[in-house]
Amino acid sequence: MDVQKILTEAAALVGPSGQEAQVAAYFAEQFRPYVDEVRIDSMFNMIAHKKGTGPKVMLCAHMDEIGLMVSAVEEDGSVRLGQVGGVDPRILPACRVWVHGKEKLFGTIGALPPHLMDAKDQKNNYAREDLFVDVGLPAEKVKELVRVGDLVTFNTPATALLNDQFASKTMDDRACVTILLGAAERLSRMQCDADVYFVGSTQEEVGSRGAMTAAFSLDPDLAVALDVDHAVTPGCPSSVTASVDSPVTSIGPYIQPKLLKRLLDCAEAHHVKLQKCVNEWYTGTDADEVGFTRAGIPTVLLSLPLRYMHTTVETIDLNALNECSRLIAHFLSELDAGWEDDLWI
Amino acid sequence: MDLKQLTEINAVSGHEQQMRRALLAELAHCGAQVSMDRMGNVVAVKKGTGVQPKQIMVTAHMDEVGLIVTGYTEEGFLRIVPVGRVDARMIISKRVLVGDELLPGIIGAIAIHLQTAEDRKRVLSYSDIYVDIGAKDKAEAERKAPLGAYIAFDTLYVTFGDDRACGKALDSRTGVWNLLRLLEKDYTNDLTAVFTSQKEVGCRGAKGASFAKEPDMGLVLDGTDANDLGMTDEVQQCCRQGEGVAVSFMDQVSIGDRQLFRQALQAAEEGQIPCQVRQYAGGVNESGDVQRAREGIPTLVLSVPCRYMHSPSTTVKLSDVDAQLALTEKLLMQL
Repeated sequence: MDVQKILTEAAALVGPSGQEAQVAAYFAEQFRPYVDEVRIDSMFNMIAHKKGTGPKVMLCAHMDEIGLMVSAVEEDGSVRLGQVGGVDPRILPACRVWVHGKEKLFGTIGALPPHLMDAKDQKNNYAREDLFVDVGLPAEKVKELVRVGDLVTFNTPATALLNDQFASKTMDDRACVTILLGAAERLSRMQCDADVYFVGSTQEEVGSRGAMTAAFSLDPDLAVALDVDHAVTPGCPSSVTASVDSPVTSIGPYIQPKLLKRLLDCAEAHHVKLQKCVNEWYTGTDADEVGFTRAGIPTVLLSLPLRYMHTTVETIDLNALNECSRLIAHFLSELDAGWEDDLWI
Repeated sequence: MDLKQLTEINAVSGHEQQMRRALLAELAHCGAQVSMDRMGNVVAVKKGTGVQPKQIMVTAHMDEVGLIVTGYTEEGFLRIVPVGRVDARMIISKRVLVGDELLPGIIGAIAIHLQTAEDRKRVLSYSDIYVDIGAKDKAEAERKAPLGAYIAFDTLYVTFGDDRACGKALDSRTGVWNLLRLLEKDYTNDLTAVFTSQKEVGCRGAKGASFAKEPDMGLVLDGTDANDLGMTDEVQQCCRQGEGVAVSFMDQVSIGDRQLFRQALQAAEEGQIPCQVRQYAGGVNESGDVQRAREGIPTLVLSVPCRYMHSPSTTVKLSDVDAQLALTEKLLMQL
């Protein structure tokens, strides 16, 4: 499995929250060789099922990305922007985008040139409302092709850096969907009793709406959520960041402690370096909603550390990604009927 | 070489070697006398066919703004400062190429989730920003990106929209491309084409060339801000894309020679060349150094309207680039 190729292809797909069809279709094809059946539900969750007679497990990682939306088309053909999910406006000036109007249009995000600004404005960041997309067309043509509500996605290629680091848009969270794919690939060559559902979930960035409906319909016995976490970055307190070179698991009230112990023991037995972090309340991932769907679902969270979250150059370590796949494959392979013994004592 | 190839060469001010090599190879058979001078300018002189040719120097700068490595963090990130004017707000979340080996790097930004309200208001300065090449520690960073390594934007040239191009360094490379195209023809006047160095750090190449060549007049080809999108007031627009080459009556460093200015507008009208008067009295370019060389040289600036100059994604309208070429050709014949 060529991880870098899949990451590059997946990142380039268009799939902001609520419009993930293209990404679901792509991952459906990627999972198909390793599972028994694949379907896409009405929320565009991609559900890949590897049948088994043992405990029913749902693993989920989200396919949706943050993006922008057309909020207005001005008289002069400049296109104003709203956001889908939390977009840091500091990444926007001079950023290349695609405007998904009646045609897919190349655009660049423009701003008032700094040296033409008043001295006091030079000390402020550009607000998203002051920026615009330039699609290089006459105003009448823009109005014909672009409407309020059209999606605008980032157009930034991936970059391979030193030491297997990889920078791209939308590693949050398609890198974790790729982790699940790697796990599925390994598991297809291993003994496994568990009844496994790999889910590419949707609308995580606006409240895990895909994951909660998928969890409801699948009704699993337990769940493993995957999302990205913050990696060590200059200027960030070390208490909230992890080293980029290995996966992380979370400890806290939303995480089932016995299930977590099983995961940690598995990591140790198979020599997977697994860092720990603490989430004393919500985790900010699909784990939160999945954990109390239906009558409740025991859940653990695995994270891939990443620098510069929600930018177009989110940076991960490919070795951490592969090790996480390896851990998940072993965890699933060793899941037996005894997993629920003394779960809450 | 076409405009795409020219923009994709990295030639940050003070490190224009790759561009010089490309220009020298391109100019080998253009019929001009080609040399390099002591400022690193590439000079191509073509004798005029007329009876009493004037020596007209036409300049276009070959350098671009970029960044340079000034140090390292303990974790192995590169500390940087700009070469020429690059507003820090333009480079966040962008891709770069470090050094002559074109090592890929990125300029990240702290995740929005980890920013406080105060952080969000604060404009990042160069002491907050760094280039991430994926080095595992400071020692590796120093090996891979030595102190003083030049860094260029990693931008692919793309055509889009209605006859438009988007790429880096279009403010200078359009002029370079036009100079190359000028050298394919002959003119009544002598053409001293100068591809200048170090414009972005003080117009240093142009100053040296003007002194050395002593031309009768100077035409400066450059890019200028077109602030014509985003519902800006007409009076703030400076010039407009699609309305042709922008002729300057004045800027921060020179007042255009009045006769040349009138002749240019007239030539444009006669030749039906799209032309506009640049509606701005500020801005820096090489005309100041050309005009004030020796006892003074009559000078005029002819600019291509550029949006988002000095960012990784500058845009131009290609018909404006052709208009700059057409007007320069006509002036070379009739001045």
